[in-house]
Amino acid sequence: MSADAVVVVGAGHAAGEMSVALRSYGFTGEIILVGEEAYLPYQRPALSKGFLTGEIAHEQLYVRSAASFAKADIRLIPNVRVLSIDRARKCISASDGRVIFYSKLVLATGGRPRRLALTDARVDAAPNIHYLRTIDDVTSMQNSFKKGMRLVIVGGGYIGLEVAAAARQRELNVTLLESLPRVLARVTAPPVSEFYAALHRSAGVDVRVNAELTGFVFDAAGRVVGVKTRDGGGVAADFVLVCIGLLPNTELAESAGLKIDNGIAVDEFGQTSDPDILAIGDCTSHPNRHAGRRVRLESVASSVEQARVAAALLAGKSLPNDSVPWFWSDQYKLKLQIVGLNQGYDQVVLRGSPDSQSFLAFYLKDGTLLAVDAVNRIRDFMTCKKLVAARVSVDPSQLADDSIPLTTLVAGKPQPV
Amino acid sequence: MRKFRCRFCSHVYDERLGDPDSGIAPGTLFEDIPDTWLCPECGASKADYDLIEE
Repeated sequence: MSADAVVVVGAGHAAGEMSVALRSYGFTGEIILVGEEAYLPYQRPALSKGFLTGEIAHEQLYVRSAASFAKADIRLIPNVRVLSIDRARKCISASDGRVIFYSKLVLATGGRPRRLALTDARVDAAPNIHYLRTIDDVTSMQNSFKKGMRLVIVGGGYIGLEVAAAARQRELNVTLLESLPRVLARVTAPPVSEFYAALHRSAGVDVRVNAELTGFVFDAAGRVVGVKTRDGGGVAADFVLVCIGLLPNTELAESAGLKIDNGIAVDEFGQTSDPDILAIGDCTSHPNRHAGRRVRLESVASSVEQARVAAALLAGKSLPNDSVPWFWSDQYKLKLQIVGLNQGYDQVVLRGSPDSQSFLAFYLKDGTLLAVDAVNRIRDFMTCKKLVAARVSVDPSQLADDSIPLTTLVAGKPQPV
Repeated sequence: MRKFRCRFCSHVYDERLGDPDSGIAPGTLFEDIPDTWLCPECGASKADYDLIEE
């Protein structure tokens, strides 16, 4: 075994980007990725968009080609699960019996969909209740993803809404159940929630809010044929997709005694509580300078940023994670782009009108800009990123006035972090 | 003509095709795209692209 071996637990987007960046920064030791899935490291966003509708093939999701990984001398071990970490001996034990020693270990275990909390064994056994996180999750739904099929989506977050849009594009019959009073409640303000609910309804989705799922109706073969909601209502279903959140995969780290805090806790360089172990991506919580607190983000931009910072650390460079969180969601022909974290906002200012399907929602706290939701305002998004990064204090009436170019507001008064 | 891949989403910038919807003519070299240009799919910036080497 080489004196210098970086072993990565996980082979997803963050793992893929980290390994490529590490090699490009001049690291000459071994790089080994051990992943549970059968595929090359791939990007997940298209799973609820173009890959689900069939417009994109899974090869287009790969972070790099197999040839690229081989050329960079990055070794990929698919279909293998890491079972434990021996921090004293600095090795990992895997499901195929192999033991791999590391100089440095990178945990990129990602997350898993939160499961339904219903205590009914038939729920676990039903073949037509689906979750969405992997390529295989999508292909298992493929036979049902056809015109006229009745899909019930449980959960009105990003994934639920994106799948609803994709399903309507393929002319399925779609009902979406959200247990809270509005969709996207976790991430947006009421005007944006209302806009998206109206958008989906006009596209033919039966959006039901305050509609907590209480159970299912099964046929004799154990397949779901209907869902039941708290108000006593019900909906017939051919298949069900549950998208009610993501849980970080921290169990391996926790068993090894690493610090956990809503994810594997790392510092701004990706370092865990063990000096020889880093963690990146959906499985981590990390300090965000911009937010001024520890966060766990489910965001590609955040994962890729963490990956590059960790690679820099391993290559002997220093690149703190200083980025402003940002995110995007595609539904129908609309682009929703988000920059910043809006928790704690006390004011929302709209620029442009939701009726025009092109508008911005600015989230402020004590007069300082925290975050922006941009709907079909692609050209303004770069400026929005700058405004949020600068934490400007702007007169709300200027934000609301679409005749004042946003670029002129970038020189607003920045607030100290 | 080269192709560049967005690090965050599956978008590929093909120099041969450009990105006419954003005002980038076919044949525009990646280096010549303005720094204000964003990935038309997700909003990532020019700095978030990698050359596809195969």
